Amino acid sequence: MAEPNGINERQRELFIRKSTRVAASYLKRAKALSEMPDAAKPFFDVLENIYIKLTDIEKPEDRKSIGTLCVMVPAELVYAAGAMPVRLCSGSYTAYSIGDDYIPRDACPLVKAVMGFGKVRALPAFDNCSLLIATVTCDCKKKLAGVIDTVKNTVPLHVPPLKKEDADTEVFLKELYRLIPILEKETGVQITARSLAEGINMVGNAQYEMSEFLKYRRHAPALMSGTQVLSVMNAYSYMPVSLWAEQMHRLNGEMKQRLEQERFVSRKNQPRILVTGSPIAFPNIKVPLLIEEMGGVFAADETCMGERGLYDPVSVIDPSFDGMMRALASRYTKPCTCPVFVDNSQRIYRMKQMIKEHKIQGVIYHVLRGCLVYDYEYQLMEEAMGKLDIPIIRVESDYNEEDVEQLRIRIEAFIELIKMHTSA
Amino acid sequence: MEKYYLGLDGGSTYLKAVLMKDKKVVGTVVYPTGIDNNGVAKKIVAALCKKYGISRADIGYIMATGYSRKILEVADDDISEITAHAYGVRVTAPKEYRPGMVIDIGGQDSKIIYLDANYNVKNFTMNDKCAAGTGKFMEVIAQILETTIDQVGALSLESTAPCDINSTCVVFAQSEVISLVARRVDRRDILAGMHLSMAKRIIKMMKKSEKGGDILMTGGGALNTGIHRAFEEEMMKDVYVAKYPQFNGAVGAALIASERGGV
Repeated sequence: MAEPNGINERQRELFIRKSTRVAASYLKRAKALSEMPDAAKPFFDVLENIYIKLTDIEKPEDRKSIGTLCVMVPAELVYAAGAMPVRLCSGSYTAYSIGDDYIPRDACPLVKAVMGFGKVRALPAFDNCSLLIATVTCDCKKKLAGVIDTVKNTVPLHVPPLKKEDADTEVFLKELYRLIPILEKETGVQITARSLAEGINMVGNAQYEMSEFLKYRRHAPALMSGTQVLSVMNAYSYMPVSLWAEQMHRLNGEMKQRLEQERFVSRKNQPRILVTGSPIAFPNIKVPLLIEEMGGVFAADETCMGERGLYDPVSVIDPSFDGMMRALASRYTKPCTCPVFVDNSQRIYRMKQMIKEHKIQGVIYHVLRGCLVYDYEYQLMEEAMGKLDIPIIRVESDYNEEDVEQLRIRIEAFIELIKMHTSA
Repeated sequence: MEKYYLGLDGGSTYLKAVLMKDKKVVGTVVYPTGIDNNGVAKKIVAALCKKYGISRADIGYIMATGYSRKILEVADDDISEITAHAYGVRVTAPKEYRPGMVIDIGGQDSKIIYLDANYNVKNFTMNDKCAAGTGKFMEVIAQILETTIDQVGALSLESTAPCDINSTCVVFAQSEVISLVARRVDRRDILAGMHLSMAKRIIKMMKKSEKGGDILMTGGGALNTGIHRAFEEEMMKDVYVAKYPQFNGAVGAALIASERGGV
């Protein structure tokens, strides 16, 4: 019997068979890249639980899950309301092919994957979200907020396209205030100055561990495979923040040990590559995997599923409730380097900073098909990289495995190019 | 005695081999790729040895490139097509060529490589999941027009009024050509139109930001005088053609082999 969603039981079964197999094969490839730190295993277990064993997020039973899209949704507010934020931006090829039936062809694969999960109802971490906070950012996300409403109770969150002036932050502040009663109604928990401060503190701890981790990540030769690092950051989407921070603390301990024992996973002549551009969400990790399988070091990422979501803590100057809200509004727009903002010159500054800190020798600019905002900024980035004499290549991809060979040859040639460039 | 070096280019349609000594091309051989890349590569090495009266031991290093580069057991190492073509140009470009852009038209892909003044790769772009603008495209159209790929260039140059071929997809262009044939359009005009359409397609891949230097054509496609003319017409610039264009990748691989072998 057909269901209101248009997906019947048999289709769901087949979906699960395929999606779990795809996720398992990518996890396996990521683990096989180089000897994984023991402390990284819990993060991989989380991805395995969510995508292969299809279990819900590990959290207290009475804590509700609230789905979020984009890095502009303040997790602190959701924690303050006693709920667990779950980032639903996904890289699932299987969910993408389901979503493809509901979203126009030229839209990006990420929104198709989100819509696909909404329709198929096979991922408990997704399905158990009682509410979805959908950002109004790029055109694809904006229209997704409109259509995903049919499968999930959704509240759109307007992110201003401008961020420079105080008036822009005020717009976002109003939006965040509007979110408060909605969250409170959903969880039955009042957001107080105390709970908000706690939320900020919890997320801040994770950001602290992240900043510690980045010190090790910057080390050349590398101490851990970059694809594995990205998987650890992807696991952040599905873990309570305090648990993630705790595991991260252990991982940092192990990284320190590796550094002391000089246990490296890369050699000196392997080019250090930064990936920037459209989100790289598990299991769509084919680009990082190809970089590392072809002999490059995936040394840093300037993407929203990786470092961008985690590098900058909320800085509270005025500890009143309004002061904290203002700090949130400011943190989630001003330093954000997402190209949905009209003026995004920060992204270039950030890149320059990262290239220096991470000792980057080449940049791969990842564009998901249909991701117009990132593609827009490619020319600016190319120009900036040209001035720094850093080779850059634009790589366009989609959520399927058919383009892997084309990607492979590009990435392989790019690695050869960097080697010759640096030896010249 | 000075050693020989060998470059193998396992392309989608042909397997090309270049024998090099003192960084100069001694000989070239081409075999259809078929389904057994590895077997053909072995045969080609044996054939080259026989043809030039040398033994396998006289070959100091074998470098493979092209689609099947990873599986050629005779090779000592492999290198991507991009790097191989960029290297090949050092040998195959005419003397007056100032390094800039290289247009490579292969059997199943076409690529644009940008070189700096020292022939180092600055950047490159390739066609995606599409055969328009590749040798395959020419082959398909040639077949409909009852001619062969080695004839299409000369035939198209006789055209006085190239017709428009608007479809960028090979399969759609094929049906477009069939309807042109049905309307009794001169096949020389159809071929000239095909070359212009291919050139336009490839020019779209070029980056506006990369300027300077000259334009060079390589790959089997460069043997086609019609497409060469079409590029000059569309770009309104001189376009050079590499020496042994079909072997450019193999020449590059052989040159890298020579460097690896310690020449």
